[in-house]
Amino acid sequence: MLGNEEGKRKTPPKWPDKFLGWFCHEDHLEILRGDVYELYEEHIETMPKWKADLLFILNILGLCRPFVFKRKSQNSIHIAMFRNYFKVTYRNFIKQKVYSMLNISGLAIGLACAILIFIYISDELSYDKFHSKSDRIYRVLEKFESEGVGEHSASLPFPTGPALKNDFGRQVEHAVRFFNFQSPSLALANKAADKGFNESSIFFADSTFFDVFDFELIEGDKETALDDPNSILITRSMAKKYFVDDDPMGKTLEFQGDQNLMITGILEDSPKNAHFQFDFIVSFSSLKASFGGSYPTSWYWNPCWTYIVLEENTKPSDLLGQFPDFVQKYFPDFVKDDIELQLQPVEDIHLTSKLDYEIAANSDMKNVYIFGMVAVFVLIIAAINFIYLSTARANKRAKEVGVRKALGSAKSQLINQFIFESILLTFTSLLIGVFIVILILPGFNALTEKTVPISILLEPLFLFNLIGAGLIIGLLSGFYPAFVLSSFKTVSVLKGGHLKINGMNFRRILVTAQFSISIMLIIGTFIVLKQLDFLQSKDAGFDDENIVMVPVIQSPMGQHYENFKIAALQSPHISSMTAVEEIVGAKYQVGNYLFEGMEESKPFPRFNVRHDFVSTMNIPLAAGRAYDQTIQTDDSLALIVNETLVHSMGWDTPQEAVGKRFNFRGELKGRIVGVVEDYNFASKHYPIAPLVITLNTRPRAFNLFIKYVAIKIDGTQTKTAIADLERAWVSVLPDRPFDFFFLDDRINDSYKSEMKLSDITVIFSTLAILVACLGLFGLATFSVEQRTKEIGVRKVLGINTSQIMLLLSREFMVLIGIAFLIAIPLAYYSLNEWLNDFAFRIDIQIWPFILAGAMTFFISAITVAFHALKASYINPTETLKSE
Amino acid sequence: MKHTQLGEFEELVLLVVGSLHENAYSISIKAELKEKTKRNPSIGALHSALNRLEKKGFITSYEGGATTERGGRRKRFYQITAFGRKALDQSYELRSSLYHTLPNIGYAGK
Repeated sequence: MLGNEEGKRKTPPKWPDKFLGWFCHEDHLEILRGDVYELYEEHIETMPKWKADLLFILNILGLCRPFVFKRKSQNSIHIAMFRNYFKVTYRNFIKQKVYSMLNISGLAIGLACAILIFIYISDELSYDKFHSKSDRIYRVLEKFESEGVGEHSASLPFPTGPALKNDFGRQVEHAVRFFNFQSPSLALANKAADKGFNESSIFFADSTFFDVFDFELIEGDKETALDDPNSILITRSMAKKYFVDDDPMGKTLEFQGDQNLMITGILEDSPKNAHFQFDFIVSFSSLKASFGGSYPTSWYWNPCWTYIVLEENTKPSDLLGQFPDFVQKYFPDFVKDDIELQLQPVEDIHLTSKLDYEIAANSDMKNVYIFGMVAVFVLIIAAINFIYLSTARANKRAKEVGVRKALGSAKSQLINQFIFESILLTFTSLLIGVFIVILILPGFNALTEKTVPISILLEPLFLFNLIGAGLIIGLLSGFYPAFVLSSFKTVSVLKGGHLKINGMNFRRILVTAQFSISIMLIIGTFIVLKQLDFLQSKDAGFDDENIVMVPVIQSPMGQHYENFKIAALQSPHISSMTAVEEIVGAKYQVGNYLFEGMEESKPFPRFNVRHDFVSTMNIPLAAGRAYDQTIQTDDSLALIVNETLVHSMGWDTPQEAVGKRFNFRGELKGRIVGVVEDYNFASKHYPIAPLVITLNTRPRAFNLFIKYVAIKIDGTQTKTAIADLERAWVSVLPDRPFDFFFLDDRINDSYKSEMKLSDITVIFSTLAILVACLGLFGLATFSVEQRTKEIGVRKVLGINTSQIMLLLSREFMVLIGIAFLIAIPLAYYSLNEWLNDFAFRIDIQIWPFILAGAMTFFISAITVAFHALKASYINPTETLKSE
Repeated sequence: MKHTQLGEFEELVLLVVGSLHENAYSISIKAELKEKTKRNPSIGALHSALNRLEKKGFITSYEGGATTERGGRRKRFYQITAFGRKALDQSYELRSSLYHTLPNIGYAGK
């Protein structure tokens, strides 16, 4: 037999034994332990120690069997424990209603904010990912620039798509083109039902439309629906609009008053998370009718949005390398050295693309980051509240902890209990938060122009995230209070008396962090609002108010323009009229010009106008004259340019520019007759570039180069002015629907992304501050309660109300002061970064900082003062006698 | 009669418990099994089987007194019950009756 002494010398490692003790049911523990030790003793005699140790470990691991595990009786104890935890949580909740409500409502609001932002962000990120080939679909871009002037266009010349497919057949699986005359609206009519409208979402598309994109066709055949000329697909809601309950299949719609299109399919409404929306898709071959029987062959004019699907295993770089040769091969001599073709993944368009001629205004990745940060901030603030309110309750729970400890609760059991409570409260808040989300999701959708269904809340991934987030927040925020509470010394707690809570410093840090974040959010909100206001109201250099825009492209207006103008100007409320190529102050086109002193022509932003443009828009002249109706040669032999162009040409003064010769598309054309002062012909995201304003009086220009008639009206008589205008319209074009919009409204669309940003930051910052104040309120309540006795004593000694207020608020004010100091540099830095992306930006001033600090200070002062006042009314006899 | 069902390993353990008489406890059973069957079951597997056998009523157990070996821990001794004995008998009968229906060995070799 092995002697005891010898056995002590050679003992197995301790931890597997402990492990056994942890998982093994007590009924079996002794016997099993005995077994493994006996085996060990046996082994140690015959083999090296390491091997015996290893076998010892393996034996114990081998004992992990169902019958050995702790269960049943133990389980029922656990259930009983949880029931007890639950009961205790509930009782505490009821007993401390104010705290609990603050705790839960703060977290619920925070979680609701975070959920909404999460929904928003995940929707933003989902754009164009629903196509099965979305990772292989690219939009081809044209960068047409010389010395920094020109355009970066989302669209390409007509022949590019087919040429790409033809030249790169092995890399390009499909190509599809979209075209819409770059017109804000086109007319469609169901003649049979006498229903006609100007439609803004009509696109012509190649028959490969369905090969590239996965849009749903409810009726019709994807293979053939777009094969024949004069075919049109309409969406479900448009079918309703034009045909109500009739079956639209096979019926015809009249396009622009002269072309009949037959309906060959009904599309599902285009998903909201696609970077452009359509109501009608017309077969591309229908376009031939508008261009004299064949497609335009120009490689200069670039109106077609072109998408390609790369073959599997083809990298975009494979194609990009061959593009320069492609450009040289096809593009006309005078531009081919300035052109670069690029590829843009379709999934990136919505969040990152800001090109010329986008189909629709896109969103901005930066907003996603900012919203994400706001969500995290709000969550942090809410969680911090939760943490310090829980710790603040500690002294109320101290007796309970003491009793539990005296009765033999292990520290781990207390921790379990508090973490359980925290998780339970978090989940309660989560439920309330989800409920809040359900209530405000419709409003949120309206605000953000999204259509996120409530059913998103039931999606597995979403639920999973939600529960995960609940657990994490519950654990994190329960952790600290659990440790503080469980570490109370039994004796001192039970003795009562002065309970020093150690958490005060930690809570001070939390409060400071919270207020730093709040102050940053307030500053950010002010500055975003200010910048948006600046973008919208900064003098653009022309009048955008009281300008009515009437879309006229592809209409017979060309022949009737002069008559229309005469008829309209008869109204006393209409002061001036012109016609323009694009929305003034938002869009422009590009043309190649060669000015005196240049060797080769260069692409310049260009704007086709009719007479009276400068006076209607009220753009000041820097030199020379405006276009004159009485000078016939102005039409082709004269140009007006802006001041930036003058500077970029190296001419010293605008006066010097007048009379300089220019050359357009190779032929010597004429001279500059006038220079206008700079105005923002594109949105204020971009700096002002050189600009050429050219007069175009040809009636045919209304097919392409003149898209709107712009009318200056009397702003006090808007209604009558528009009625007069419509009368004038009907007198020349009785068959066409009259349509109009106000210029300033449309210009504001350029700042949609910023508007959304400011709307959302205002809302969520307000909520964040509200949540922070809830926390402060709770903390103040706590601090007053803790010091009632002190206040009682002081009152007896003759302190007055204002002194009490000072006493109570001093600490918070110091903390807010520190928070303010921390917030200033962080806010300044991040906002400066944001502003740097705007060509026209505000300077960061001091007042938003001061205002934010003052606001926070003021709100907290009120909160604390409320409590101080309450405390000062306490009768000292009440507080002092209750020992 | 689910209770009377015996797994192959269970049957072996039951036989060993019966054959060891008074000295049947986990380690001795394990040693005996190793010696007789050349297989070396882990004590986990062995306890698992013993536990099942006891649940089915084939064996009973009692705890022996503490000794200095095994770090002063007690052993659990196992005894076969009458019911266990009967199960073994039945199993044996079943097997031998089936065995006797086998044709001649020489025939199988052909």
